[in-house]
Amino acid sequence: MSKAILFSALLTALTIGVDQPAPEVVLKNLSGQTVRLDSYKGKVVLLNFWATWCPPCRAEMPDLVKWQRQFQGKGLQVVGITYPPTRVRDVRQFTRRIKVNYPILLGSKDTKVLFDSSDTMPVTIILDRNGMVKDRIEGIILPEEFAQKVKPLLN
Amino acid sequence: MKKRPSGLALIATLLVFTAVSAYATTKTTTINVKGMHCKMCSASVTKALKAVDGVEKVDVSFERGTATVAYDDQKVTEERLREVINSTGFKVVDEKTE
Repeated sequence: MSKAILFSALLTALTIGVDQPAPEVVLKNLSGQTVRLDSYKGKVVLLNFWATWCPPCRAEMPDLVKWQRQFQGKGLQVVGITYPPTRVRDVRQFTRRIKVNYPILLGSKDTKVLFDSSDTMPVTIILDRNGMVKDRIEGIILPEEFAQKVKPLLN
Repeated sequence: MKKRPSGLALIATLLVFTAVSAYATTKTTTINVKGMHCKMCSASVTKALKAVDGVEKVDVSFERGTATVAYDDQKVTEERLREVINSTGFKVVDEKTE
């Protein structure tokens, strides 16, 4: 077995599966405050891994802002997690410009590997109100995917 | 008194229908996409294009910076494909039909 296959298998083994509890994650937000992922229990969480250098990540964020505004009353909580290389100044500028209305946490490659072993960006992990991983959306979230995979959890 | 269509007219009509249907075949276009340097990100272009009704096959190459799409031109236009690519955050720079 080649090293690449072994590495890939290791990554997959490290990644949490569907219907398993989300791993404990503690990250800093843009203000330097510590945020625990489990503090969002009770809400349907979209963990959106993104980067300022990733065009599709930037392109989908206005939709995330819109959904956060539309469905926060039904318990939706979008959480953006940055993927390196990250320049905090760029993150601040971009999120201010598009008026991001959800928390942005500073992540690492290891943070993403906990949830997803793919090479894709953006990636969004869907957690139910009990903090269980329910699904994983690779690439931009299409409106029909939101309707199919997220909306039923909000009812 | 109305004249009934002759057999010849019916055959001609059938031929016209067949010809029109023959044009509604799969077209393939290669679209140049600017800024697609990141393999991690190019999957979104593939995904967005595959979600379009009428798109039959998609091959996105971040190395070449191209998206090659086979599509039913009765269901979707090349213009629509370019719009979809632009909606993923990348920018179509020009295009050529094969």
